[in-house]
Amino acid sequence: MVDTLIYLLIVIIKILIIMVPLMGAVAYLTLAERKVIGYMQIRIGPNRVGFYGWGQPLADAFKLMFKEIVIPQNSDYFLFFIAPMLCIAPALAAWAVIPFADGLVLSNINAGLLYILAMTSLGVYGIIIAGWASNSKYAFLGAMRSAAQIVAYEIAMGFALVGVLMAAGSLNLSEIVKAQNGSLIHWYWLPLFPLFLVYLISAVAETNRAPFDVAEGEAEIVAGFHVEYSGMLFAVFFLAEYANMILVAALASIMFLGGWLSPFQGTPLEATFAFVPGIFWFLAKTSFFLFWYLWIRATFPRYRYDQIMRLGWKVFIPITLVWIVLIGVAVLLKLPPWFV
Amino acid sequence: MYSENYRPTEQLASHEFELYFGPNHPGIEGNYALKVRLNGDQVVKITADGGYLHRGFEKLMEERLWIQNVALVPRICVPDPVPMEETYARVVEMLGGLEVPERAQWIRVMMLEMSRICAHIFTFGGNAATIGQYSNMFWGVSDRDRILDLFEEVTGARVYHMYVTPGGVRRDLPDGFLARLSQLLDYLDARLPEYEDLFFDNPVVQQRGKNVGKMTQEQALEWGVTGPNLRACGLPYDVRRNDPYLVYEQLEFDIPIEQGGDVFARMLVRRAELIQSIRILRQVIEKLHVIKGAVRRCHLPNPLAWNIPEGDAYARTESSKGELAFYAVSNGTAKPWRVHVRGPSSMHAVQVLEKLCIGQRVEDIAQIMFSLDACPPEVDR
Repeated sequence: MVDTLIYLLIVIIKILIIMVPLMGAVAYLTLAERKVIGYMQIRIGPNRVGFYGWGQPLADAFKLMFKEIVIPQNSDYFLFFIAPMLCIAPALAAWAVIPFADGLVLSNINAGLLYILAMTSLGVYGIIIAGWASNSKYAFLGAMRSAAQIVAYEIAMGFALVGVLMAAGSLNLSEIVKAQNGSLIHWYWLPLFPLFLVYLISAVAETNRAPFDVAEGEAEIVAGFHVEYSGMLFAVFFLAEYANMILVAALASIMFLGGWLSPFQGTPLEATFAFVPGIFWFLAKTSFFLFWYLWIRATFPRYRYDQIMRLGWKVFIPITLVWIVLIGVAVLLKLPPWFV
Repeated sequence: MYSENYRPTEQLASHEFELYFGPNHPGIEGNYALKVRLNGDQVVKITADGGYLHRGFEKLMEERLWIQNVALVPRICVPDPVPMEETYARVVEMLGGLEVPERAQWIRVMMLEMSRICAHIFTFGGNAATIGQYSNMFWGVSDRDRILDLFEEVTGARVYHMYVTPGGVRRDLPDGFLARLSQLLDYLDARLPEYEDLFFDNPVVQQRGKNVGKMTQEQALEWGVTGPNLRACGLPYDVRRNDPYLVYEQLEFDIPIEQGGDVFARMLVRRAELIQSIRILRQVIEKLHVIKGAVRRCHLPNPLAWNIPEGDAYARTESSKGELAFYAVSNGTAKPWRVHVRGPSSMHAVQVLEKLCIGQRVEDIAQIMFSLDACPPEVDR
């Protein structure tokens, strides 16, 4: 009994060690987004609260916490409250299997990739329920779009992950990273290049970010599925979106850029950089993808909804299917240097 | 589902539903409302309602002295106020038989073209923002701000200048202004390629804009479309060329046209017009260095007892939105008897928008409205 309690306590502490920095990262990602996009748009971004605006995320959080939660009269109360939680829970739960460095993972399960796919697919229920429970036309349109879009891109993304699975021969995320050991060209971005691109773009669609943010297209359907949400409930949607962004960026770095592996492996500089902990490389790669997401948001306008669907079904899924066959052949032939 | 005071005007088919687009919607400029009937997310019918921004300009003008109306007219269209002032001033000059000094005419052309650049940059940005590309909007606002600085220098105001008065302009240019204006033109020349990169060469912008909100030349003529929207259908019609006013006859410029007639073609025409405006401004700067003299009539009558002779007059201008015209009738007193404003937006934002949106998707409504460059306050005067 005592052993179980201690075990549970340790797990809870481990969870907190992941969650607290993650929430901080989410908060400061919003600031980074506003700053980065601000400079891209010839303006300064938030710089009033705290030192050069570093207090802004805290100020936002306090503001949202003390705001009234307005519930539409004809909404479904239960579903209205449960939707943001359904949105954020899978976004956070998926972090259980992310390896931050060699052995530094909360739960090193063998079906890690499958678990990730399951969790990211669950997130869409929150969006659909939010759109339905609000009983608002704009929210409903946003939810319908989001549902169709996520179904299309989930398949493309799933197939991209199947390619990784075939190349690594394992569903365990740590094993996938270890299979990329060697050097920069051993990482899977090179042999799986089309899948890498498909994954990156599908991940943007999956997280409802620009240029695929039709679910909340601001100038079209105002804010889409969360148009009726205010105060802390809205903040939870916001947190879920950014937690998902960090998650897909972390997955991209694990599956295609070698996770915690140093980029100097196999070069004369390897020994020089041996002192850098693996988690640093992992975070650096994740940050690179996050910056990329902010960058494309500042550059690209939103796709039209039917164009998004066409891209998903008619371009991405065929590309991934063809490349999976090619990967299968390469694995059978034990094509060096990746599949020996 | 409906609020208490909501009454659908007619019974909808079971697969359709009605959506209120505005008057408070991020994709709409100004307080403009569209009642949209959708089938899925395709527009079946759209009804425009400009009444949320009814400010009664035409009636107000009848209650004001002729000279007081100078302060009222720029407010009719916020992003492009100078053509309003110019047209009103010209219609009063026609009625009162006032002569405009030559230097004032050139200054007016300069102001008109600066205002056109402002408005066009703003329209790119607005159009980009409706499809979710806010960078372009912020760039546009920031570049427009530099022109507003120059406006402030000349007129003391950034938006509502009240600078062009009947019989000339309010005052001469400040020292060194022309040099600063040519610096600004060089800056804009350098900036335009960046707009190309971000907006016009962007594959997503092209995919969004091409074949959306398309009209043919015949339709455009039938619906009373003017300005860049008409030129995007391939007809080189421009009031500056077809019915020249001020000193436009002495200036060299091209009338850019496009054949597409869709959202993207309308933006391309505006980009080409921007370049032509810069070209015109360079010529005007050269002329203004040479032409000296008064900028207004020396003996302006007492404004309180300024009676305009009886009669009526019609003056038209090429504004950035299309053909703008004022029709004024005087009965010989100190106040106008009737002023009618022919704003281009009343055609573009009501009948053209209502027709172009049919069959398009709900996400393109805002884009089509911005590409027509409709100015809501101008719709219901």
